Amino acid sequence: MKNELKTVFFRNLWRENPVIRQILGICSALAVTNRMENSLVMGLGLMFVTAFSSLTLSALRNHIPDRIRMIVQTLVIAAYVIIVDIFIKANLPEISAALGPYVGLIITNCIIMGRAEAFARKNPPVLSFFDGLFAGLGYTIILMCIALIREILGFGTIFGFDVNFLNFTTWTIMVVPPGAFFMIAILIWVASGITDRRLKKNENKQKGAA
Amino acid sequence: MKKGYIYTIIFMAVVSIVFTGLLAGVNAAYKKKIAFNQEAVLKSSILLSVGVESGDDVNAVFAEKAQENKLGDTTYYSIETDSGTAFAIPFEGPGLWGTIRGYIGVASDLQSIQGIAFTEQNETPGLGGRIEEDWFKNQFMDLSLETVITYSGDSGLDAITGATSTSNAVLKIINEFISTTLKELEEAR
Repeated sequence: MKNELKTVFFRNLWRENPVIRQILGICSALAVTNRMENSLVMGLGLMFVTAFSSLTLSALRNHIPDRIRMIVQTLVIAAYVIIVDIFIKANLPEISAALGPYVGLIITNCIIMGRAEAFARKNPPVLSFFDGLFAGLGYTIILMCIALIREILGFGTIFGFDVNFLNFTTWTIMVVPPGAFFMIAILIWVASGITDRRLKKNENKQKGAA
Repeated sequence: MKKGYIYTIIFMAVVSIVFTGLLAGVNAAYKKKIAFNQEAVLKSSILLSVGVESGDDVNAVFAEKAQENKLGDTTYYSIETDSGTAFAIPFEGPGLWGTIRGYIGVASDLQSIQGIAFTEQNETPGLGGRIEEDWFKNQFMDLSLETVITYSGDSGLDAITGATSTSNAVLKIINEFISTTLKELEEAR
């Protein structure tokens, strides 16, 4: 169990990170990452939904008839998303206004259905729960990285606190969604670069050993 | 796994009932709180349109300073501000994607706009949605109504980069508001 958890953790955070490796959930990653606060709430919402929908679907996996499994997945995911939406509206009304329709659109985030289909369908509930949680965490971390750079350059703030000590002119491009395209592309580039280099190193080692 | 039709139908029905019931429960539990939040947001928008900061206790400030008035079918508010009474009058009009609604604050002599607040808009987030940002709304403070309002160097009004249609829609709504609703109010008084 411990080893499995470790595998699940590293796979979701790095090797198969939903955003920078699988290029899933890009729409919301572009939309909400102009401020750290919005990204964090969006990420937490997604972690909650992915974790609990994976748990539920995995617990039901031996009872769900195959031919309607996607309907059941959508139903379960939608139920959790609406719960998150209601909860944010009731307790964090300002953030709810800032996120606009994107919380409701967590339903369409491919990461959740991806985990349900690829993992929760074949694995026990607790492990599926953590798989969903870590997939959400992988998504959240990338969103926070993008938001950190966009918020500093676009607003001169971090979590709303002024960090613009140099008094530079803030970049409007970082505030509007196209700014996120550049940031995501750079992150994907860096991640692929690191993986490629590692692969080459391993190859060289193997050659050296032979 | 292969299962019969009857099982499939019953399974789907049970799952639907369980999850819909769960949602109904959560919705009922939070209904009051959400309605309360929405009312607070509305009240603080009304106050902000005439430049009154509502602070923490919106309801108390609103009850103290605002008074409801009627003009035909529309409800508007006369509000005590530091510089005398002002009116917060509702407006609505077509934006780029949907109806834009809100309140325009007008000085009691009806000669200048004191401010603007949006209560409902479905413009593109990050582009047209930026009409909700303070820098945009603050431009409409203390705006004289002698001439038609335009985006220009003379008026000091800036449109939003990348959101020309929304910017123009807002301007059109405001000018229409001045030529219709405000005229009616002037005649009624």
